[in-house]
Parts: sequence; structure tokens; C-alpha cells
Amino acid sequence: MDKNEPSRVTAPAKCSRCHAEIPNPVVCDYCKSVNPGAAVMDYFTLLGVPETFEIDESELRRRYLTLSRHAHPDFHVQEDPEVQQLHLRVSSTLNEAYQTLRDPASRAAYLIECLGGKSMAEDKSVPDGFLATMMMMREELEEACQDGNTEECKRLGKVLRTQHDGLLRRIGELFEQYQQAVACRAVTRGLLAEIRQQVNAVSYVKKLLSRVEEK
Amino acid sequence: MEKQPTILGIDLGTTNSLGAIMKDAGPEVIADADGESLVPSVIAFDSEGKVTVGTAARAHAVENPLATVFSIKRLMGRSLSDVREDLTHLPYAVVAGPRGSACVNVNGQVRAPQELSAIVLREIQSRAAAALGEQITRAVITVPAYFDDAQRHATREAGQLAGLEVLRIVNEPTAAALAYGLDRQTDATIAVYDLGGGTFDVSILHVSEGVFQVLSTNGDTRLGGDDFDRELIDLITGEIRERFGREITFGPATRQALRNFAEAAKIRLSQRETADVRIDLGDGRVYTRAITREEFEARIQSHVDHTLEHCRRALSDAKLTASEIDEVILVGGSTRIPLVRRAVEELFQRRPYTAIDPDRVVALGAAVQAGILAGRKRDTLLLDVTPLSLGIETLGGAMGKLIMRNSTIPRTATETFTTSVDGQTSVDINILQGERELAEDCRLLGKFQLTGIPPMPAGAPRIQVTFLIDANGILNVSAREERSGRAAAVQVTPAAGLTKEEIGRVVKESVRHARRDMTAHRLIDVRNESHRVLGAIDKALANAADILTDEQRRKLDAAVERVRTLMDTNDDPDELYRAMRDANDAAGPLTRYQMDEVLSKTFRGKSAKDLDPRIGTEE
Repeated sequence: MDKNEPSRVTAPAKCSRCHAEIPNPVVCDYCKSVNPGAAVMDYFTLLGVPETFEIDESELRRRYLTLSRHAHPDFHVQEDPEVQQLHLRVSSTLNEAYQTLRDPASRAAYLIECLGGKSMAEDKSVPDGFLATMMMMREELEEACQDGNTEECKRLGKVLRTQHDGLLRRIGELFEQYQQAVACRAVTRGLLAEIRQQVNAVSYVKKLLSRVEEK
Repeated sequence: MEKQPTILGIDLGTTNSLGAIMKDAGPEVIADADGESLVPSVIAFDSEGKVTVGTAARAHAVENPLATVFSIKRLMGRSLSDVREDLTHLPYAVVAGPRGSACVNVNGQVRAPQELSAIVLREIQSRAAAALGEQITRAVITVPAYFDDAQRHATREAGQLAGLEVLRIVNEPTAAALAYGLDRQTDATIAVYDLGGGTFDVSILHVSEGVFQVLSTNGDTRLGGDDFDRELIDLITGEIRERFGREITFGPATRQALRNFAEAAKIRLSQRETADVRIDLGDGRVYTRAITREEFEARIQSHVDHTLEHCRRALSDAKLTASEIDEVILVGGSTRIPLVRRAVEELFQRRPYTAIDPDRVVALGAAVQAGILAGRKRDTLLLDVTPLSLGIETLGGAMGKLIMRNSTIPRTATETFTTSVDGQTSVDINILQGERELAEDCRLLGKFQLTGIPPMPAGAPRIQVTFLIDANGILNVSAREERSGRAAAVQVTPAAGLTKEEIGRVVKESVRHARRDMTAHRLIDVRNESHRVLGAIDKALANAADILTDEQRRKLDAAVERVRTLMDTNDDPDELYRAMRDANDAAGPLTRYQMDEVLSKTFRGKSAKDLDPRIGTEE
């Protein structure tokens, strides 16, 4: 996900096939043909949701399913290879977009880059003291696993889950601050960097969590 | 509206296979004249190379164990080393084919599992063609959800070899859910527990308003009813050795007989508490034994526990607990075993749903998917996932994941590669599938080589490689050098599948076979027709030989003689056909006379000259 930088494509004003004016950037309302440009749109534009961290998840799902009904390859197997290729491309982008935006942590990571912040590859830093806490947790976890102490494993899992949720709450607050800062034209660079750190921290916690759950 | 050619839904199973089609009223399985729809996935070859499929082939398994192939699905897309464990249980010879792939040696001829599966597919195809009265050229074929890329490829190749355009490879549990969930109105989260002859899958789906969204899937492509049979075989062979001496060896025919005994006992134990086994070993040695259900259950318990472990993983991936599942669907013959039902019921805390025959539900679902592809069900949207993570081998032999397991398909991932040496024009990449961290613990799908990279300093080229998992769960790779904008060639060498050339060869061979088969068929038809014509001429001669002139008679005798000779010696159907036509023409005066006779009695005054004078051969 980190590798796919969001690309900015403004939605065309007219359908490439029937030339009708189209309010929906992905599917023409009139001839129902899929816009070839959809495969390279940023995920918020593609799914037609506002570019914010807080989103209406049921609305996101509804839009994803509606668009998938037009783009899914199942409905185009009898068409020309080029048409099939187009739908394959758009459909796979829709799937990736939905998976990215549905999960709060990956949505945050994606949004940072949309807003011009650094990717995880460019900025791997985490909040002060976070690494020390994680190292401690990891040691405790390995010990508990070696001893076959499932109770302790469960407890550590719970601690990690709490930490995970706390980080996400913090990310939500920071994005809110970011919006307010944008609204009154204040400086935002530092805010994005701070969110980046929190998002990096979430991905560490997630990795540890998945280890606990595998056990 | 013009009638569209039918798309056949096919469940290509380890033990049984069958076809189904979508009708206006709903999906329907294809049955033969006796009403039987299951075709045992068994292929038998006799010493002359004649092939039998299905029930007939199965009947010969004991007398001809080395040339009767079953459970071929376990070998699909696998290398010989993958299936080593299975080998002791298979009476036929499994050998290494191209690139170490597992192939079968029957009577000295090495055949790929794809070719053997194609024989089963062709049988299903021709049954459907006979039932529907139309050629079947397009199909949807189901595979276990946990099949990897190589196994899916192999299945599609089998379809191609059978002369089918495989429009979609669909996952078996997903197909079952489609068959079940068609008419449901309310939202529900369902679990499909699919334990077949050789494979186990569990899928968790969310179903709402015609949307079938797979949330997660898990399984084991080498766990099924075959393994339960083996447990019983081990029990029986162990006891036979104990009773009659350790030195007793079990030849292929005996092994095959044991397999049949074990399978019968297993099936019986789903109905009753005990199953009697009686095996005559010759020389007055008779092994008799009453196996109890309790004993059987103790033997298969660990396998069943294994399936529950997969269920828990699927739940965890779907971020759900067992209590959040609204419905559990059982699929596959092995779910008839009481222990399996109890275990599933206990895990999900609810009675599983079994309204549709577990042997037929997958084929019915395949037909539903065929209906969707044919555009007959626009209101249904199926969103399936890839069962395994896809990645590439990175420096140090690690697995770098690009597409995570349980991602909705189709799905793409892009990765940029570069060179490590000045002027390097090609890069080798290993593609992997699996969940482990080290490349060597994952399955190598294939190696691909990026070639045609313009010579540049090390690290300068930027080759963007796109990995696309399509809606069949099959990987497609394409590449582009970003600086030059040139498409780099991607040559994927499959680790276990067939190369394009190999497919081409087998297809050509099977076309040649088909042509030979067709010639043989036509020869039989023309011979039969010749018999009929000669008989008719004889009869006419007996009635009215005197109306012929000497010249006409000579001509007729010569023509008849030629047909007789050709019938005995010739195997060119066209030549025989021409001779038969000549004889028919030579008999023209006779036939016209006879018809006039007949007609003068019925339609007075009308001459047979206006009617077709020939005795009636088809052009």
C-alpha cells in the first residue's frame, strides 16, 4: 500500500463513450460504461467519499458495492479483450481502494500521503519511548510463548489491543487538528509528521498482535 | 432473443465429478439416462489403450490396479516431492514429469494429471451435450478455495485439454454458498465447511441483497475422506500382519481391494454403530473384524481437529468469533460422518444446514456462477478472495509480501525492480505464495525473467512489474521499464504446471486422437449402413431379378462385390461410402421397379420417377 502513491486525476467532465456530462467519475450515469481513468484515480475520489480520516463506513461499503456491480469482470466475460482488461483494472483498483480505506490504520497512512506527507518508507520514525515499550512487550511475549503460558499471551494481546485502539484515537484527534489548522491557514507540516509517527507505531503494534493471534 | 450457448458448471472432485446448468427455474444437475449424475473421477486404461471413465472404470480398479487412476486431483499442479506421502497409498505409478511435476505412468505412457482430469471433464461435457442436445464449449470449473496458483492453472489446463473454454475457476465453498444463498432475503454471515474426498476448505462469507462477499478462507488441499480410508486401511493391514505373520505383503490389487473395503466400512459407519469386514487372504486365511464407530472416530479425531483449527484461523482472519456466524453449511461427502457434524456443531454452537445434497451443491453453485457470467443474473455480485499471500523472494531469502491473503480479487500490486550490475539486461525474480517469512518455506510459483532491459549503470533502470491476481485467483505478470517506457518481456517458468508448448503438444495430440476416434466412428457407421444397403439389394434381387438387363445385372454384381471387399479390408470410411453409393445407384432400376409396384397399389397413376430413387443413404 505504501508503494502506491496516490495519483491525482481530475474526473473528466464528459463520458468518453457517449459524451454525456457525468457527475460520477467512475461510471457514466447514462450509458453505464466505465471510465478508463478510474483505474488511476485516488481512492477517495474513486469511491466518492470525502478526503477525511473520519468516514461513514456503511456509506463507503455501499458505494464500493454499487461501483463493483458495474466494474466486476463477471459481468464482462463475453466482451472484447480490451473491455475485459479495462474492467479487470478498474475492479482491482476498487478492491484495493476499499481495502485501504476500510481499515482505519491503512486509511490514515494513505491520507497522509494524499495530503502531501511522507510515506513510511521515507519516514520510519515512531513516537518517543515507543520502541522501548515495544521491545519490552516483545520480550514478555516471547517468554510467555516459550513457557506455553496462554493466559499471559492473552493478557499481552489485550494490552496490545488497548494500545492499538489508543493510537487510532490519537490519530483521529490529530487529523481533526490538521483540518482546523488548514481552515485557519495555520502551519500543518509538523502535524502530518506527528501523524506519520503514530501510524508507524500502529503498524508495529499490529505486527505484534498478529503474532499473538497466530499462537 | 437468440439462444446463447449453454455454459456448463462442473464440479471436478477428487472422488466424484458432475455437471450442472442454469435454467430459468434455477440450477439443475445433469443426469445420465439412468438418472445418475455423479461420475466417479476414475479413469481406466486397458492394454490396447482403450479408456473407460466413471463407474465402469471404478469397477475394474481391483483387477487392473496399475492402470486405474483415481484421486488425480491430489496430483494436480504438484511436484513429485510434494506428493511423496501420497505415493504409498496409490497403486498406480506416479513419476516425475517435466520440471519434476507429478505425472502418472500408465502402461508405459507418462500422462500429466491435466490430461487425466481432461478425460473426466470430457465425459461430463459429452453427458451434458447429450442431455441438452447442443455442443458444450464453455465451462465454469470449481476448485478447492485453498488451491494455489499452480493447482488452479493445472485445472484450467485440464479444461483446455478437454476442448473447453474455461470462463471461470470458482472456489468450491463459494459455489456452495451461491447455491444456498440465492433466495435469501436477510443479511447473514455464513460459514461453509467443505470436507471432500481429498481436500478441506472453510470459507466465511457475508451475504446481503445478492452480494456474496467472501471475508476469509482457509483449508488444507491434502485432507479429506481419502485420509479416513487410509486410517482404516492401516488398522486392517496392521491386524492382518499381526494375525497372519509380519511377512505378508500387499500387492497393488490387494491394496485396491482394501481401499474398497475401507471406503465401504467408512460409509457404513455413518449409518450404523459397527461395520463388518471380511477379507479372504487365500490358503484358508480369512480376516474378519467388526469395526465400531467409536474406533473409527478415535482414528480420525486428529484429522477432524485439524479442520477445526482451520475454521478458527478463518474466523480470526474475518475478525469474527464463532458465535457471530448466523449459519453453517456442510458440503462434501465426508460431512456425512457423525463425528464431523458433531465437531462442527460444537465449534459454531449451532446445528449445521444440510438441505442440499452435499455431493451436488458445488456443481449447482458452479451453474449459478455460469448464469452470472452469461448475464442471466445481473443482481448477483460475487466477491471472492485469494487464499494465500503472494510475494517475491527478496535479498537474503525472505518472502516480501505484495498481496495479502484474503484480499478481494481481482487485485493488483506493483513493485519496482532495478539492476545490481552495470549494463545488466535481465533480472530474475522468484514468485512465491504462502504465509511463512522465509522464501524456502513458501511455495515457489515460478521464476520469471525480465529481459530486454536497456543497458544502463547499476541501479538506474526502473522496471515496474505488475502482479495481477484475476477473478480466477490466477496470477498474471507484466512489466515495463519506466525510463525507456518499453515493455520488458516477462517469461514465467511454472514450477509445476505445463509450459505453453507442452499444452500445445498435448492439445495437438488429443486433436489427432479425436480425429482418429472420429474416423473410427464414421467407419463403423458407414459399415453398418453398407450392411443395410446390401441386405436391401439382396431382397430386391430375390423379388425382381428378372427385370434387370444383363448389363445392369453385371454392373450391380460388380458394385456389390466391391462393397463386400471394402467392408472386410478397408478402413477408409470415405472410400467405402463411395462404393456403397455406387452399388445403390446400380440398384436403381430394381428400387424404382419395386417402388412403382408398391405405389401402384397405393397411389394409382403416380410414377416413382418423381421420387428419390435411392435406397436411402445419408449424404
